[in-house]
Amino acid sequence: MSQMPQRQSLQGNQACALGAIAAGCRLFAGYPITPSSEVAERMSKELPRVEGVFVQMEDEIASMAAVLGSSMGGVKSMTATSGPGFSLKQEHIGYAALAEVPCVIINVMRGGPSTGMPTRPAQGDVMQARWGTHGDHPIIVVTPSSVQEIYQLTIRAFNLSETYRVPVIVLYDEAIGHLVDTVELPDPDSIEIQDRKWASGPAEGYLPYAADEDGVPPMPRPGDGYRTHTTGLTHLETGFPTQVPADVSRVIGRLLDKIERNRDAIEQYELTNCDDAEILVVAFGITARSSERAVNLARESGIKVGLMRPLTLWPFPERKMKELAGQVRHVLVPEMNAGQLILEIERLCPDSVTVSGINRFDGLPIDPGEVLDKIKEISK
Amino acid sequence: MSKLALNLKSLQKAGEKSDHKFEIRDYLRLDLFPHFLCPGCGHGIALRALLWAIHDLDIELDQLAVVSGIGCSGRLSAYIDANTFHTTHGRPIAFATGLKLARPDLHVVVITGDGDCLAIGGNHLIHAARRNLDITCIMLNNEVYGMTGGQVSPTTSLDRYTTTTPLGNQEPGFDACALAKGAGATFVGREVTLQTTALKNLMQEGLSHDGFSFIEVISDCTEIYGRKNELGSSPEMVLSQKRSILPKFDGTAVDKPFRAGNWDTGVLVREDRPEYYKAYRKHCHKVLGTAAVKK
Amino acid sequence: MSSATTAKPKKTVQKQTAVKGPTNVLIVGVGGQGVIMVSKILARLSQLQGLQVKQSEVHGMAKRGGSVFSHIRFGEEVWSPTIPMGEADVVLGLEWAEGLRWLRYLKPGVGTFISDTKRIVPPFSCRDRRHDARHGYAHHTIAEIVAQVPSAYAPDATGMATELGNERVANTILLGLLSTVMDFPVESWREVLAEFVPPKTLDTNLKAFEAGRAWTKQDHKPLVDDAATQAAPEPLLKREVKLEITESWCKSCDICVKMCPERCLALNDHQIVELVKPEACTGCRVCEWLCPDFAIAVHVSTVPINTISAEAAGEVQA
Repeated sequence: MSQMPQRQSLQGNQACALGAIAAGCRLFAGYPITPSSEVAERMSKELPRVEGVFVQMEDEIASMAAVLGSSMGGVKSMTATSGPGFSLKQEHIGYAALAEVPCVIINVMRGGPSTGMPTRPAQGDVMQARWGTHGDHPIIVVTPSSVQEIYQLTIRAFNLSETYRVPVIVLYDEAIGHLVDTVELPDPDSIEIQDRKWASGPAEGYLPYAADEDGVPPMPRPGDGYRTHTTGLTHLETGFPTQVPADVSRVIGRLLDKIERNRDAIEQYELTNCDDAEILVVAFGITARSSERAVNLARESGIKVGLMRPLTLWPFPERKMKELAGQVRHVLVPEMNAGQLILEIERLCPDSVTVSGINRFDGLPIDPGEVLDKIKEISK
Repeated sequence: MSKLALNLKSLQKAGEKSDHKFEIRDYLRLDLFPHFLCPGCGHGIALRALLWAIHDLDIELDQLAVVSGIGCSGRLSAYIDANTFHTTHGRPIAFATGLKLARPDLHVVVITGDGDCLAIGGNHLIHAARRNLDITCIMLNNEVYGMTGGQVSPTTSLDRYTTTTPLGNQEPGFDACALAKGAGATFVGREVTLQTTALKNLMQEGLSHDGFSFIEVISDCTEIYGRKNELGSSPEMVLSQKRSILPKFDGTAVDKPFRAGNWDTGVLVREDRPEYYKAYRKHCHKVLGTAAVKK
Repeated sequence: MSSATTAKPKKTVQKQTAVKGPTNVLIVGVGGQGVIMVSKILARLSQLQGLQVKQSEVHGMAKRGGSVFSHIRFGEEVWSPTIPMGEADVVLGLEWAEGLRWLRYLKPGVGTFISDTKRIVPPFSCRDRRHDARHGYAHHTIAEIVAQVPSAYAPDATGMATELGNERVANTILLGLLSTVMDFPVESWREVLAEFVPPKTLDTNLKAFEAGRAWTKQDHKPLVDDAATQAAPEPLLKREVKLEITESWCKSCDICVKMCPERCLALNDHQIVELVKPEACTGCRVCEWLCPDFAIAVHVSTVPINTISAEAAGEVQA
């Protein structure tokens, strides 16, 4: 039954929970940690209403493990955490990547390293989100910068995870996690939901890791008669371990290629005033909000500046970035860390383009004035 | 037909029921054999007992999920022709928790080892015991980290030599069953691999138990631990399990396997407590009203 | 009594005048059946006839189910308390195999053999551990025995007693039968019986006594044939054991070799397990259960007994 969009005043973390439910998440396993606990709290309330399961596990590691166990059972699952917990979950994120278990991890970034500043926003997990677990692995990281976007990108995170059988991290900071805003909840029927491909056909001779043309193998659901083996060891198409170099290079190659070959479908970004821009600001999350304001103010004073806001941090929208880098003379990367995303930008820009950053790691968001001052300085 | 002849017939029938039809090959992934375990390893005997119990309970392989961790014990799941999950070190119980909550229709069995379950994964054991989700956890205790070359484990007996206790272990060993009991496990049992039929019966009871069941299997690491500690040849090690074992009927007798301490074998704890998933679902329906719940 | 032959001439005379020696009755059965009670009845009966009686028994040592016997000798003068082999006038068996066990004590050609066809198979007669191995219980059919002993009575006394409503009066049925081959007046039997059996059961016991007496006058052909099948049961099916050894799975751990209760396995030159004594294998499955490598599978099949090989059949008989 079609319904009109619903407007609700929601906190970022609650919007995340509602997005997950809308996406079809039916199990949440988590562990309390500031500043992400509200996700768990809202999930514990919502899941029983849709015949789902909420479980607060004994620790961060167990939460991630339970999410994988559940997803391997065929149920869309999610957990939410912050810095210290995210560190603990890394081993299992790697397992999800290798065993191709769809799952969504919410990481509400707080000041670090270590226990750091639990109630302060930060953007220090950019590289950890990409390379937190050991070994080469595929991963997708999405970065919302508003409460509305948290809702939407959480749904997208599930869709991406199901489509490509990769762990997807929803990365946002404490500031928008705890931001309360008006959110438009769309009619549930209008939401596009992707479900993973399920194995079909004869069980005899079935190869659980033999990929389709899109590089993604259909997943066997326990109880459907396929009786497969899932392991964190490097494995063949059969699901059983291998250490033969040629085989390893083929199977790991495919894993990484799942992202590479589907970049166009995965990468998402938003451009503001970029058409004639000479200066490009690249920012995500809360910093993108400040930057957008700064860009608009700078435009008012005649500076040709644009904003690129990646919605997928990883894979980073490389092609678009390279394209823009050919057009601008300066790229400014404000971020709430000592300089992480800037490394990727530098890599993508030719020597002719100057890349500079605004970095702070003191627990305070970067405000529009700070970005504007820097834009003005660059434009001189 | 005389009475005696009739009796013989019924005996034969009973024999057929109990062991005739169990062909372990029906339960194995034969392509992977011979398995990777060392000669004389007790884990193989334990695996047989488990599959036998599964056979006798008529559990469909399609409906069986076996979750294992890392180590020698962790590799066992691969050999079972079911839905098998070889997970991370110490975490099979946590994986199994997620799996069982998502798929209460599956029979979920965890195979874990002493290091996997008591050291790195100790936290998950105690909380799974407390939660009482319907999972059967089978811990194969061989007192050593075999896969990594024979390091000391939480259950290594006093004064035993391992590669990390070259002068003899001075840490007291863990009583896993007491731990599980203390954490509230509603079914706890221990058995030695030598008593294969008793082990199978114990596993059968554990598998049928509605709630978290913990079974410690006293297994042998013959090649690494046995050799290093001069515990004898494989048959001698297996046979030594029998030393001073007393059959246990009511939970009061004390058996003494050859391992450290006065350890009981048999069913040590059997309690009736609501199974977690059923209790959760029932409670949610009660509070919200069944009609309010949308699938 | 070393002085017997020299010091008491009177007795010597008496012995010389006694044309007939004492009558010897051997009562046998298994513990708990009532051998002692039956022999007491017989002894009392003899006493009432004014005869000397000597009784010698083994009991107590025999646990319930074990062999029990009682020698009863009565006559004008009885010296020795035990019956020499081949001297028993009557062997009275309360249990079939016990009856047969003592059959050689019967006077060849003239002795009377009376035995219940009831079979109480002792557990220790199963010396072969194989599933349905033949036990060591007597294998002769009733017909074979009856054919060999000129005067043999083999009633299903227990069955008859059960029909009378009390299995325990089987002994009385046998006493009734015994009364037909002895010279004591029937009334005396009844009196003594009343003296020994519990008053409540007297009525049934008297009926049983009459039933025993009547049994000799019946035609027992069908009964004997029926009993024959019961006395020599053949297992209808035979278990055949085959060991399937997957050599490529065996890792030479030696567990099966050392744990086999029959010692029928060995490691061969390639250190792979081999069944070296197939005839000793009972199919107990210990090797299969304890093989960590699943290299041994014990296949047990049941086949009709008549299809087993002559070799195996010979082994069963042995």
